[in-house]
Amino acid sequence: MLMDVRFKRDGTALIAYIEGEIDHHTSRILRERIDSKFIVEPVKNLIMDLSRVTFMDSAGIGFILGRMKKVSSIGGEMSIRNPRPEIMKMLKMSHIDSLIKLDT
Amino acid sequence: MQPVNRMKTEFLSKSSNEAFARVVAASFVAQADPSIDILADIRTAVSEAVTNAVIHGYEEKEGIITMECILYQDHVEIIIEDHGKGIEDIEQARMPLFTTRPDLERSGMGFTVMETFMDSLEIESAPGKGTKIRMTKQLVYR
Ligand SMILES: Nc1ncnc2c1ncn2[C@@H]1O[C@H](COP(=O)(O)OP(=O)(O)O)[C@@H](O)[C@H]1O
Ligand SMILES: [Mg+2]
Repeated sequence: MLMDVRFKRDGTALIAYIEGEIDHHTSRILRERIDSKFIVEPVKNLIMDLSRVTFMDSAGIGFILGRMKKVSSIGGEMSIRNPRPEIMKMLKMSHIDSLIKLDT
Repeated sequence: MQPVNRMKTEFLSKSSNEAFARVVAASFVAQADPSIDILADIRTAVSEAVTNAVIHGYEEKEGIITMECILYQDHVEIIIEDHGKGIEDIEQARMPLFTTRPDLERSGMGFTVMETFMDSLEIESAPGKGTKIRMTKQLVYR
């Protein structure tokens, strides 16, 4: 299993605990799983916990920005939690850290 | 300069081979005992180039991608090639945020990542012929 995602609800926020590798292949699956969960839960905010993400390329940037657009279109907020240093490098490079709340 | 070692592999343009290619490239380079950070950069750059061949080169149809890694004393050269669609305007393609596939949630950051994470990046491409990416990375801090 290259990638897995588990969910938890915290008030108005859905927390997605992502595990493994985010690339073009896995991000398509990840996108479907997160979007379909987000729609059925009574939430408006999305938190992505990246503490167990071991690899991410630029497909992850597109994936994160895509979720951010969805969430803000319904007036919610998105944030990212606990990225590892390698993942942080990718987030910084694409300036996502200036668009999305980041808790490290 | 004489290569220390060399490998070449070819695989189908399936998205599942994006992980295959980056793992193979990293384990080949690992024999030179570079730092973990250098291996991580190589993994990411290879992933970008192979993904581009899958999505843009072959537009998710079947094709063959080749990857060659040439190991030298102090650096590695990685060549990734497809015989797909090719790039009309290479200069424009290299620009940060430029993508022809926003519909696929592409960020347009692939070439920027390859450029930032590696030490050099050359793109050879012609419409209808395909695309060849040549990247190098220093393996020893000088
Ligand atoms: N192997 C390729 N074959 C054809 N076109 C390519 C290839 N690689 C890149 N491109 C073109 O260059 C653009 C920029 O690539 P990149 O920086 O990786 O961004 P992205 O993959 O997010 O679109 C792509 O949108 C595509 O039009
Ligand atoms: Mg790309």
